[in-house]
Formats: sequence, structure tokens, C-alpha cells
Amino acid sequence: MAGKMLQDLTDQFQALSKDMSSIVEARQKLDSQLQENRSVQKEFANLADDAKIYKLVGPVLVKQDKSEAVMNVDKRLEFINSEIARIEKQITDIQEKQERKKMEIIQVQSQLQQDAQAQVGA
Amino acid sequence: MSSSKDKAPQQQTVDLSTLSVDNLAAVKKQLDDELEHLTTSFSKLHQAQSKFKECIATIKTGLRPRMTGKTVLVPLTTSLYVPGTLSDTENVLVDVGTGYYVEKSAADAEKFYAEKVKTLTENLGELEKIIAQKRQNVQVVENGEWFTRAAIAGRSEVLT
Repeated sequence: MAGKMLQDLTDQFQALSKDMSSIVEARQKLDSQLQENRSVQKEFANLADDAKIYKLVGPVLVKQDKSEAVMNVDKRLEFINSEIARIEKQITDIQEKQERKKMEIIQVQSQLQQDAQAQVGA
Repeated sequence: MSSSKDKAPQQQTVDLSTLSVDNLAAVKKQLDDELEHLTTSFSKLHQAQSKFKECIATIKTGLRPRMTGKTVLVPLTTSLYVPGTLSDTENVLVDVGTGYYVEKSAADAEKFYAEKVKTLTENLGELEKIIAQKRQNVQVVENGEWFTRAAIAGRSEVLT
């Protein structure tokens, strides 16, 4: 009975760990996007207003106004930052869940041990 | 260009002698994984750096004013070329990331790439320090593992 419960709990715990690693991966990807966009933003800030900026659309380069390009990058950064905030929240969520599962597992384990001892004693 | 400055490794001190062999093995595995991740990042950064250096070298050798009007072969695919003439040796298009290209003078482009190389050199230096630190940690854990095993084997008196 308790053995089955323990098995279920460990399965759940492992599922949580898996979720966690995929979310952490997503978080790292966002981080590198953030870095890249920041460096583009910095580069744009150093450019003259009439600088010729092209955007890669599929295989062609399309000319774009600096103001438009700057706005685009700013918007992207905003989006990435909100995504990071969202994912950070998910990470803490999962961490809490993991912590709770761990406690449950420990409880069931000690219960099992007690049962085993009781049987030996009887 | 992902500089590996994500979450700074949290340093927490754990007394290794209180850990069991299993725990030590787990700690060692984690350290090994981290170390591997860091070394791959290191070689990736290195690759990126040499790419930028190549760009600088190309600007320096391939974009002389005397090259203006020279015939070049423009690759359409990896095996198909068409002849063309170099009409402009002053300006180049530089990929600044996320799909944006900026027209720059050759000198500015060189500056741009030199700046990138410099940043990467700094990052590489930092990363190298972190890797050295991690290696040391792995060493310490390995020693701890050995001591614990030896103690379990009942040969603790030899070690003291």
C-alpha cells in the first residue's frame, strides 16, 4: 500500500524535475536572446540617425529606418523581459512543488520504516 | 553570442566529511556537469572570437582602395559563382545581431569587430577563472570521496 504510494510520489517528483530542466533551458535561451538584443540596442545607440540599417527578411536585406529598427529592438527587449519574469515565476512555482513532494516522500518513507520495525517487533 | 553570465553559481559551503559516498558521488557528478558546460561555453566563445578576428583580417587585406574595379567571383551557392566587379571598397555591411545589418565604413567595421574581440577576451578571462575554481572543487570532492571510502574500508588509522 505505502510502497505503491511511494512509487507514485517518486514518479511525480521525477516529472517535476523534468519540467524544471526544460523550463531552465527556456530561461537560458531567453537570456542569450536578451544579451544579443541588448548588444544590438547598444550598437544602434552609437549610430548616426541617417545610418543605413538593413533587416534580414528571409534571404533578402530590407532597408529600414533607424527609428523603426530601434523601436523594434526596444519592443523585443520588453517582450523578452516579460517572458523572463513569467518563467522565473514558473521556476519558483516548481521549486515549491518539488519541496512539498520531497516532504511527502520523506513522510511516507519514515512511515514505511516504522511499519517494518513494528512487524519485526511483533 | 551568449555570454555565460546567467545565474552566478551560488557558493554554499558543505562539510564534505559529513556526506556519504552516495552523496559525494552526486556532488561530483553535478560538478562534472557544470565543468563540462563551462568548457563547451569556453570553446564556443573562442570560436566566435576567431571568427571576428577573421573578419578584421579580411577587411584589412581584401578591402584596399587599389582593389576597386577588380574582378571577383561571387558565390551564388557553394559550387556556383558569377563574375562581378568590386565597386565599393569603402563600405561594408556588418551583421550586428538579431538579423540586423548596418552599413559601415571599413575603418568603423574594423573598430566594431575589435570591440567584439575585446569583450570576448574579457569574458574568456572570467570564464577561465571560474573553470579553474570548479576544477579545484572537483579535486576536493574527489579527495573527500577517497577518504570516505578508505574510512569505510576500516583503514582510517592509516590516514591519520
